[in-house]
Amino acid sequence: MAREGKTPRLPEAGQWPDKVAPAALIAGIVLTTVGFLMAFLTVPPVGGATVGGVELIGDAMVNQKMLLSQKIFYFHMPVAITSFVALLFGAYYSVRFLLTKNQRFDTCARIALELALLFVAMTMVTGEMWTRFEWGVWWSWEPRLTTYLILMLIVIAYFVLRSSIDEPERRATFAAVVAVIAAIDVPICFMITRLIPSSIHPVVLREGGMSPEMGLCVGLAALGMLCVCFALYRARFRQVRLVQRVDALKETLDDER
Amino acid sequence: MNPILADIYSTILPSAPYVIAAYALLWVALLVYLLIIARGTKKAEAQLALLEEAVADQRAKGE
Repeated sequence: MAREGKTPRLPEAGQWPDKVAPAALIAGIVLTTVGFLMAFLTVPPVGGATVGGVELIGDAMVNQKMLLSQKIFYFHMPVAITSFVALLFGAYYSVRFLLTKNQRFDTCARIALELALLFVAMTMVTGEMWTRFEWGVWWSWEPRLTTYLILMLIVIAYFVLRSSIDEPERRATFAAVVAVIAAIDVPICFMITRLIPSSIHPVVLREGGMSPEMGLCVGLAALGMLCVCFALYRARFRQVRLVQRVDALKETLDDER
Repeated sequence: MNPILADIYSTILPSAPYVIAAYALLWVALLVYLLIIARGTKKAEAQLALLEEAVADQRAKGE
């Protein structure tokens, strides 16, 4: 155990994840591209906004317009899933920091939260585009949207808090607590559509929630986004570690002078 | 325009800007983040090179 004197193996630049990161980035780009192509070429259209009565479109009689805007779903949901995973990783490293007080874990948590914020913002942007077209509004106080907004505000608060405290250990401790709170909000945000059913955000992760084609498309895109997120995480981690090493060298040189 | 075609296009054309914007913004955000990382790495590497020079100078003076 770390607290009993055994030094935990610290994440460091150049370890095995860095060796697989370029492959992960390529895999991520390929998978998201395949997901994108599937969304537009193979996945059948799903009902969007209803039309009054039955209409003849092409050769088919339909009672709903198959809206293209629903295709946003195939990259909106994968980025949302990735934001949840990044937040959970952030909380994992935060807990490890709280247990060991090792700043390296704080660095990992900060980068994970940074990526979480990026993916939360992307989820919001893609969702807004969909919301604006289908519902005609930019925002609705719907349970999923509201809980996700709270999640975004907690992640923003994490960085505001970090920038307001100078002492490293105190900053890392407080930030770790906020990261854990953000992670607690993840299952709430995920389960809210089951707890408070809403027609706007249907429960899709259930039996019959999606057709096999839809599920495969979302699955591939989500896997791709997770790979991209992992590659970005490692790239950022390498950069931050390099900056930390440069700063440490500067301090050593200043001390020697 | 053919009314059936007009109806078909009406399901695609109005939402196309939103679909394209959502997808484009997503990749623009990822690309910007990647550029920030690349810029930061380049800056840190330049600082490291300067530090190496400073260390070499200090050693030369010490000798």
